[in-house]
Amino acid sequence: MHCKICCRDSEENSFCQLHSRAFKNVQEKFRVWEAASNASWMEYLAEIQKNSLTGVWAKEVAKYLIEEEQQK
Amino acid sequence: MEKYTLVITEKPDAAKRIALALDVDGKPTKASSNGVPYYQAYRNGAIVVVPALGHLYTITSMQKGRGYPVFNYQWVPRYQAERKASRIRVWLKVIAQLAKDAGGFVDACDFDIEGSIIGYTILKYACNGKEAEAKRMKYSTLTKEDLQESYSNLQSRLDFTLVEAGLARHEIDWLYGINLSRALTQAAQNYSGKYVTLSTGRVQGPTLKFLDAREKTINCFVPTPYWTITAKICIIDTVLEVEYEKTLENKAQATAIKDACKTKEGQIETLDVKKFLHNPPEPFDLGAVQNEAYRIFKYTPIQTSKILQHLYLDALISYPRTSSQKLPPTIGYRNILKKLGNAPVYAKHTAELLAKTSLKPNEGKKYDPAHPAIYPTGNLPEKPLGIAERNIFDLIVKRFLAVFGEPAMRQSINVVLSINSNRFHFDATRTLTEGWIRFYKPYSQLKDSTLPTLTEGQKVNIEAVFLSDHFSKPPARYNPSSLLSKMEQEEIGTKATRAGIIQTLQDRKYLQGTDRFFVSDLGFEVTEVLLKYCPTIVSPELTRKLEEEMNQIQQGTQTKQTTIQSTIETLALVTSGLKEKEAAVGAELSRSLQKTRVNESTVGLCPKCHEGKLVILRSKKSGKRFVGCTNFFEGKCNTSFPLPQTGTVKPLATACKSCGSPTVAVYLRRRRPWRLCLNSDCPLKGKMVNNAL
Repeated sequence: MHCKICCRDSEENSFCQLHSRAFKNVQEKFRVWEAASNASWMEYLAEIQKNSLTGVWAKEVAKYLIEEEQQK
Repeated sequence: MEKYTLVITEKPDAAKRIALALDVDGKPTKASSNGVPYYQAYRNGAIVVVPALGHLYTITSMQKGRGYPVFNYQWVPRYQAERKASRIRVWLKVIAQLAKDAGGFVDACDFDIEGSIIGYTILKYACNGKEAEAKRMKYSTLTKEDLQESYSNLQSRLDFTLVEAGLARHEIDWLYGINLSRALTQAAQNYSGKYVTLSTGRVQGPTLKFLDAREKTINCFVPTPYWTITAKICIIDTVLEVEYEKTLENKAQATAIKDACKTKEGQIETLDVKKFLHNPPEPFDLGAVQNEAYRIFKYTPIQTSKILQHLYLDALISYPRTSSQKLPPTIGYRNILKKLGNAPVYAKHTAELLAKTSLKPNEGKKYDPAHPAIYPTGNLPEKPLGIAERNIFDLIVKRFLAVFGEPAMRQSINVVLSINSNRFHFDATRTLTEGWIRFYKPYSQLKDSTLPTLTEGQKVNIEAVFLSDHFSKPPARYNPSSLLSKMEQEEIGTKATRAGIIQTLQDRKYLQGTDRFFVSDLGFEVTEVLLKYCPTIVSPELTRKLEEEMNQIQQGTQTKQTTIQSTIETLALVTSGLKEKEAAVGAELSRSLQKTRVNESTVGLCPKCHEGKLVILRSKKSGKRFVGCTNFFEGKCNTSFPLPQTGTVKPLATACKSCGSPTVAVYLRRRRPWRLCLNSDCPLKGKMVNNAL
């Protein structure tokens, strides 16, 4: 099985090891954003996706999660 | 012919300088045999000074083919192992010829591990086993006085423990390098059928691991918001910005505090003024000068090493590959200062120091038994130096002056003020007495703040209070200087090899960027493979343990054989593990190599379809090279651009300054590389513009 984002083999959450680590970070940091500015999950994802300080893999995860939400 | 003493030096420049210093008249005769220079001099008997060209011998495998593991090796002349080293054959022939008629031997190579091996291998192999009877010259500068002193007090024998430690280091590094690199290269080649040199080693592996860990943290980083409140206050005529006592992680709370500070007046609550002494800097060791040169001039460690070597060979500075922060009085502080004072630019400061009754450098803790810290010899350049050499020379001279300076007296002021019961503060520091700082200008990084006179209880006017949004930042990428410091801190590699290791990681394309390092996909994959299949190899503990053992060999408490044997045992296990998993390793590496190749040939985004990527391709029909859109294969886009058919073409990251189209660099033999804009309608086409890279 390939990672949902790249061509590497998937490990956890259908992500590869690298995107899985980024995914965990994205999930964890939501709590901080929520407490700081009452941001919703989608607002948060949109914010971190456009933030220049967000890491490349975290941005890819955010983009994937936004697209996934939109397809629901 | 009278028997002479054969003096062996490391490089031709050093041979010339040593011959000039040793000849009683200062006029040695230069001779040459088959293009190999040597010098005839006289000092208490005839002397012939012959240079090496760095290492003339190297290690090679005794096994044929490119298989692994390889545990049988031998020291051979470099021309037998390296294609480009054919010049060494003649060089060794001349040394052997000169050795035949010599009555005594002196090893005058640099007094460090590398120099000791160069001298030892030449004496052993080219001079027919003269290593046991040879004497050793030990010096830290190539000045006339130092060299004459060293020749008058020759050490009776080579430093064999240093030689043993050096041989062990070379042999262990060779064993690690050849076995692991062959394992990776063969795994990738057997899987993909394409040959690409992949390498790793005892120091390379752990270094790449640091970079890999940092890159992963940066790539997975998610910033979090926080807020700061700043008040602009006015005291007399000075406007200052003061910060709320802490950062705030909640916007509503931050806004509430800001709103509560809407007032016209605040008051200074406390004023904490402290005086403190700021000691002079410590003398330069190699790592420190490399870091400082990067901070000030942005020279990479390897560039600085090369500049230092030139300055050393010109007898302007002492031996640079040292880890010492000590300057013993035997180097002659006053004499050096007097000589430096002949340069008008240093005259004022050297005179100040010479007026002191005693000179005591502010030494650091690090000690190197072989050499003192880096210092200027006092000699001034005989010919104009290049910009880079001039900069580094000036830095070393000023640092030398600064270490003798008195501590600077500084004052720190911490002010706490209250705005509607909310506490704000600011810190400032200023210099009261310059001390050593005046000798180290303009390289000192200490900043001074100007403040009006302040008193506790003093009222201040509030001009504005504002809220600023911030985000937490990812850790900084390693740059050449910080990576060097990290290697030093982790005790991996040596002062002489660290800069070279960083260069190798770049050459192998594991790293990208020059100012800030980015780990490439290939770099990630190599680390991943090593971590997965042989984690011990990339552990800093292993390499640190080996460094310790090599130090013990140098001190004579450990033998070379024991260390080599345990290395072979470790490698036997690792290589058999890698061989078993060769297919999996090959698949993982090949995937990254493929991606690296695609990235290397990607020029940019297609300007027409804005979806596909422009890549450098070759036509199957004509074999011609061109740039085409990747969407062509899906029948979506037929954008293509012609390319020159000769030379090398590499994509450039920067777009054309005129039309914004992608650009490539064209490298032709014997021509300066130039920039080519792919757009045939570019307004700059055909105009006389500077497209040189």
